[in-house]
Amino acid sequence: MKRPIAWTTCAVAALVASTPPAASAEELTVAVSSEASAIDPHYHNLGPNNQVRRHIFESLVDTDASQRLEPGLAESWEATDDTTWKFNLRRDVKFHDGSDFDAQDVIWTLCRIPNVPDAVSPFTIYTKAVETAETPDPYTLIITTATPYPLVPTEFSTWGIVPAPDDAADLTFDKEGCAYAGEWPKTEDYNNGKLAIGTGPYKFEDYVKGDRLTLTRFDEYWGDKPAWETVVIRPITSDGPRVAALLAGDVDMIETPPVQDIPRLEQDPGFKVVSGLSNRVIYLHLDQHGEDTPGITGVDGNPLLDKKVRHAISAAIDRQAIVDRLMGGAAVPAAQLLPESMFGSDPDMKVQPYDPDLAKKLLEEAGYADGFGLTIGTPNDRYINDEKVAQAVAQMLTRIGIQTQIDASTASVFFKRRNNYEFSVYLAGWGAATGEMSSPLKALVATQDEAKGYGGTNRGRYSNPELDALLDQALETIDDAEREALLRKASRLVIEDYGIIPLHYEVTPWGLREGLDYEPRADQYTLAFRVTPSS
Amino acid sequence: MIDRSEIPLDTPIEPVPAKAERPALRIARDFVQSPAAVIGLIGFLVIATAAILAPWITPQNPYDLAQLDIMEGRLPPLAESFAGQTWWLGTDDQGRDMLSAIIYGLRISLAVGASSTLAALLIGAGLGLVAAYYGGKVETAIMRVVDLQLSFPAILVALILLAILGRGVDKVVIALIIVQWAYYARTIRGTALVERSKEYVEAARCLALGSRRILFHHLLPNCLPPLIVIATVQVANAIALEATLSFLGVGVPITEPSLGLLISNGYGYMLSGDYWISFFPGIALLITIVCINLMGDQLRDILNPRLQR
Repeated sequence: MKRPIAWTTCAVAALVASTPPAASAEELTVAVSSEASAIDPHYHNLGPNNQVRRHIFESLVDTDASQRLEPGLAESWEATDDTTWKFNLRRDVKFHDGSDFDAQDVIWTLCRIPNVPDAVSPFTIYTKAVETAETPDPYTLIITTATPYPLVPTEFSTWGIVPAPDDAADLTFDKEGCAYAGEWPKTEDYNNGKLAIGTGPYKFEDYVKGDRLTLTRFDEYWGDKPAWETVVIRPITSDGPRVAALLAGDVDMIETPPVQDIPRLEQDPGFKVVSGLSNRVIYLHLDQHGEDTPGITGVDGNPLLDKKVRHAISAAIDRQAIVDRLMGGAAVPAAQLLPESMFGSDPDMKVQPYDPDLAKKLLEEAGYADGFGLTIGTPNDRYINDEKVAQAVAQMLTRIGIQTQIDASTASVFFKRRNNYEFSVYLAGWGAATGEMSSPLKALVATQDEAKGYGGTNRGRYSNPELDALLDQALETIDDAEREALLRKASRLVIEDYGIIPLHYEVTPWGLREGLDYEPRADQYTLAFRVTPSS
Repeated sequence: MIDRSEIPLDTPIEPVPAKAERPALRIARDFVQSPAAVIGLIGFLVIATAAILAPWITPQNPYDLAQLDIMEGRLPPLAESFAGQTWWLGTDDQGRDMLSAIIYGLRISLAVGASSTLAALLIGAGLGLVAAYYGGKVETAIMRVVDLQLSFPAILVALILLAILGRGVDKVVIALIIVQWAYYARTIRGTALVERSKEYVEAARCLALGSRRILFHHLLPNCLPPLIVIATVQVANAIALEATLSFLGVGVPITEPSLGLLISNGYGYMLSGDYWISFFPGIALLITIVCINLMGDQLRDILNPRLQR
């Protein structure tokens, strides 16, 4: 590890010695905060799994740091009509075992996704729109959908391609189930490395569950060669030890250093912190179902049905103070449900200004001059400082006359209670997995409709037919610019109706040793091949 | 067997010699012989008085959210607020005055410690006495439950109970009663077994006194000294356990922090240099428990017949 140092630079060396020794330039060790549950790319649709997947397996469509789509194994794609998509696949791409990538591998992957034995959370939600999949030639893929469905390329960025086995060379895609004669591959064969073969920049080397995953560079990779010969991904779930591992030089990079340790890492010349907006918004959902609501005392009926009261609540919250004082800058005040840099987010929307006088006036106008009692539900271990943020909100609401209490519980209990509609107001977060506005709108504020997949997490039961119509229209519009305009309009509509109250976007930090660079990603993934030595 | 007919019924009971002190006085005299115990007592009285008078002596009501201002959060000790008030011990991340929060926290700690100990003592002593007096199946049933419960760590049982019951001061008290009663039951049973075979109990039985009378008028008073010793130690334990549960986030609600929750809130800021959020509540907890233990130690020495001077 010792680097040759000229005598003349001894003084400098003494300074350098206080920083941890750099591991060999060819090896990168990353400590992640939670471990992938499998190496199998189709077993469990979970952040840590998807992050590992991107090292080994690639998807047809890739996403950049702000989740905009970019070419992956497909060089280009287009909608030839409202329900047909044509993907032009990349040529001269090799799998880690030396075989060539072609369209049959995509067919095989589409067939395998619904057939993963005992999958915890399968990727079928991202393939269910596919009606037919055909391969007129080895480098062209034609996908049709039953109805116009603009999210096909977005959804194709979520799952990795695995190579088709020899006995599947003639397999065709069938929505009702592909007729494969052999036995579908098992998850453990991916975990032990036998089938962990993709086209990605890194090859599977070794996997010890709970300890480490070792990857080596794939020299025949079609894209840019990553800087690191070997990558070791170690799960260190506790915040303290993870920071300590970075400080001690055991690892080169860590995920999510705790908020309070960030200033310390920033001040230390041996380390740095990079952080970027995530796709996760923290919001307050308000029960707007009916006159009967569980958490409001002191008045009859449900004051949250009154738009003025909702507006008052929003205006009473000093978002900047929460971000500055509680989040240590690891958040940005939110104007809507998705950061302004992302698809469908209206760049002209402004964060609700903090105005307690206006809030009081609005309450008075609504007939609640004496306020009312309110209980806010919140998880206490799910989002960054969740319980503390809820407490600060309670403080601010109490000051305008809404006597607010906090009902905090651990995430599993909280979400169960929330799903039973036990809160009149609750704090939660939503990460837009697809990186565009239809995701939060569909889940959080569209009128509940199981058949359409609307309102799955709309536990405030907000309902606005105008919004639903806009969303319906957007989700059938193939043209990107047109769709984005519709989504922006929908976003503005719901925020100006105070249907939901956004608080802030979480910022995801990474801690690095000096000498490394990483472009922060909205999807919060830690991708070793995107880590570069800084010049 | 004593032949009762030989004792004339009108024989006066021998009067207590006038120079013998009352037991309470004797205990008080022995107690003050240890300077440490006196310091403990004084310290405890100061803390208890402050806790009882909290609403009148604290600069802020830390449970009234309208009085908190997040902009005043994480100010160091002796810092001044915008309104010109001095935060003697600094503020926590919500802008809560640490001094006020600690005094209010002590109030919760002492109330929870005392009430849960008293209730556990009553339940435990009652069941322990019953077990010792009746023996047989009743004893087996009660004591096996005691054994079963003592085989689990108290913190584990309390955590499970609170996971089921939910948050709240009342629920913490219930959990603490449930984890503590077994200690008293076991202790009093041991003492009562010894006492039961003594002559005065036999005498009482021969007089055909009712079981309730024998249990509570004869056996219980003679089993009290060890119970008192255990109770003082247990008050300290209960306070520490409540602090632990709150630290782990299953105790009191976040808007009404006790000492444990205050420590837990500030714990994350320790490495960043904002030591006061955890440090001062920790010191307050430490002093309270030490004071109670100092008193408890001396009481044990006084009440233990084997250490009788």
